[in-house]
Amino acid sequence: MRFGVLKFLCLVLTFLALLACGARESNVVQGNRDGILHFGNGAEPQGLDPHVVTGIPESLIINALFEGLTVKNPHTLESEPGVAQRWDISDDGLTITFHLNPEAKWSNGDPMNAEDYVWSWRRALNPAMGNQYGYMLYPLKNAEEFATGKIQDFSDVGVKAVDEHTLQVKLNTPTPYFIQLMDHHSTFALHRPTIEKHGKATDRFTPWTRVENIVSNGAFRLKDWQLNRRLSVEKSDTYWDRDRVQLNGIVFYPTENIASEERMFRVEQLHYTQTIPLEKIPVYRAMKDSPYANAPYLGTYYYLLNINEPPLDDVRVRQALSMALDRERLNNTVLHKSNVPAYSITPPGTLGYQPPKVFDHNIEAARELLAEAGYPNGKGWPGLELTYNTSESHLKIAVALQQMWKDALNIDITLTNQEWKVYLDSVDQMDFQMARRGWIGDYVDPNNFLDLFLCDGGNNSTGFCDPDYDDMIQRQAPQANSRAERYAIFHQAETRLMEQMPIIPIYTYTSNHLIHPSVQGLPPNLMDYVNFRYIWLDKNQEVVE
Amino acid sequence: MATPKINDVAQAEQGTSLWRDAWLRLRRNRLAVLGLTVLLLFIFIAAVTPWIAPYDYAQQDLELGAAPPSAAHWLGTDIFGRDLLTQIMFGGRISLAVGFIATAVALLIGVTWGAIAGYMGGRVDAVMMRLVDIIYALPFMIFIVLLMVVFGRNMLLLFLAIGAVEWLTMARIMRSQVQSLRQQEFVEAAISLGLPTAAIIRRHLIPNALGPIIVYTTLTIPSVMLLEAFLSFLGLGVQPPETSWGLLISYGAESMEEYPWLLLFPGLALTLTLFSLNFLGDGLRDALDVRGAKD
Repeated sequence: MRFGVLKFLCLVLTFLALLACGARESNVVQGNRDGILHFGNGAEPQGLDPHVVTGIPESLIINALFEGLTVKNPHTLESEPGVAQRWDISDDGLTITFHLNPEAKWSNGDPMNAEDYVWSWRRALNPAMGNQYGYMLYPLKNAEEFATGKIQDFSDVGVKAVDEHTLQVKLNTPTPYFIQLMDHHSTFALHRPTIEKHGKATDRFTPWTRVENIVSNGAFRLKDWQLNRRLSVEKSDTYWDRDRVQLNGIVFYPTENIASEERMFRVEQLHYTQTIPLEKIPVYRAMKDSPYANAPYLGTYYYLLNINEPPLDDVRVRQALSMALDRERLNNTVLHKSNVPAYSITPPGTLGYQPPKVFDHNIEAARELLAEAGYPNGKGWPGLELTYNTSESHLKIAVALQQMWKDALNIDITLTNQEWKVYLDSVDQMDFQMARRGWIGDYVDPNNFLDLFLCDGGNNSTGFCDPDYDDMIQRQAPQANSRAERYAIFHQAETRLMEQMPIIPIYTYTSNHLIHPSVQGLPPNLMDYVNFRYIWLDKNQEVVE
Repeated sequence: MATPKINDVAQAEQGTSLWRDAWLRLRRNRLAVLGLTVLLLFIFIAAVTPWIAPYDYAQQDLELGAAPPSAAHWLGTDIFGRDLLTQIMFGGRISLAVGFIATAVALLIGVTWGAIAGYMGGRVDAVMMRLVDIIYALPFMIFIVLLMVVFGRNMLLLFLAIGAVEWLTMARIMRSQVQSLRQQEFVEAAISLGLPTAAIIRRHLIPNALGPIIVYTTLTIPSVMLLEAFLSFLGLGVQPPETSWGLLISYGAESMEEYPWLLLFPGLALTLTLFSLNFLGDGLRDALDVRGAKD
């Protein structure tokens, strides 16, 4: 037996050694020489249409391929010029004029102009488009009315091409974060002739995003897309700021299996990983000059509750489920203290805002609530299904929580995993009872988390609808005179939300990446924002100890 | 040794049944006996697991986490602090059940189907085998996924679904065996004696085709166990906290560098079972080979 174990280990070691020092040059060495970044990108992208997709893997690729009116500085997260060279905000804060860079071009050489934005925003807001991020443009005058079909005439919406290179925008109320929104992919301009060549403007998933068809305006353009293997982009020679782009290309790898992603990193097949397996955290933490980068991240990990479905239609059941969880314990054990327990949707300290904490871990109270709801000690419990997208860490969290619920409330929760695209569909169509969800801030403001749960919020997905809540978020908060007043309204609204508990918050994210020391210009920031234009590869930093 | 007496010889000439004969020969094959013993032991343990398991299989001890083998946990614990021995015992129940039940289903359908097609020949054969070809052509994963989606997730259905796709090869093997046997004199003799078709198939054809069938069966059981692991990984088979060897191995493989015991012990359990099955199958084939030397 002992001999067997030894032999087995020898075999494994030999195999690993072969992998590590095989004859082939590693991606990292080759990439550093050729200026190609090998980027672990999480899941296979659902698509590349900026007005359709919603996930992080997609947005990373789209940020390489396209560029918004503004982009963010990865160090400060301040907005800086993208397609717009500069912008003026009127004194009343209601009119913004973007001056487009005359050098800005599409990847086929066509010049970009203000009309591209008017057409693209019309597409992004068109109800037929089903764009879940359409609300990013709702600060525009009449945009919401157009998106919900209340008005048909797009010329009433507050966007206008004054001349070829001037775009004028009218807002409903002064919106401090509107400039930030311009680097979100749902506000990007798209190439009209290409889209119309491959279908109606509002068709989802037409072939316009294929390698041979796509026309984009970013620092890179699509070179190759092998489904479930890799997606490569190369430096664009039509990009206005091409002289500052230092990478010659990026290869995005779908790395849904985080254990193999970590292994790929270790054998230098990747410069950057999307995340790190939980059990590897202690190992990498102990390293000197560790490639492990852990930083606060503007996002919340939570479970969606479908409040139309029994037994979750009873608020007491929802509260009981949430109170029964020991988030501290989960974070200290399974998560290796890599995150922060969450009790509300907004991450604490978002631009100085502190969310309310309306409940705490309290098994006694949870049991009482469940008994009141008609399931004393889990008796008569009809069962509940938790859906999550296939991933080892979601599974681990789900298994630990499943048992916490069993121990605390004596109720059974079944687990179902789904592949990313199927999972997204289930969530969109509310075809679930309880589903894992994460929300990553698209701009730094509590509003970005709280407007998820508006009655018609595209990412609400819970059935929660409270007109008073909507009124606070949509009408009262924007009219507040000071930040303190605005935050007080948010606090009140969030308290209302969490008392109804349409979601079970679990933890506040931190970003967890492995970054090869040769990668420069990729600083940690609150939004885990990657600006590929800033990245360069330092050939002198070859070795990971 | 004394010379054999007359009535000893008479007894030897009395003739023994096929099964008794096979059993005697099997007993002489040491590896096969070892395989059989291990299998029976595993099946016994699986049957009584709920009463003898040292821990509750879902019981977690998050603070303990993944701990190497110790006096309290003989095979260590997984990352949730669950006892690995208990997990393997409960996992074995599912893996063995899937392996045997699904294979039995495949055997039943495949052997009957193949024997009928092979014996009847002609148009019946053509229709039956084309049907097999058609089902073969269906991507079997999609077929199983469809079954699971239509009928919902259910352990028994999982067994049936796997069995329902695994019978095809069995049918083909059986058919070719029967086709060659059908030409032989003893079958013709049976036909001319007026034995009904069902009896001929049952009494003469199936026992004579047993060798390859048994070998193939011992190969089917492990592949079915692995298929179950694959389905579970896709979210179609068993779901946590239920477990199976295949699932334990796939989770163990993810963290084999940090916690090697999580891969090693479930792997060992599966390997032992597969080896036992192969030895037993090998022995059975030799033992049941009626054309082999009968000394």
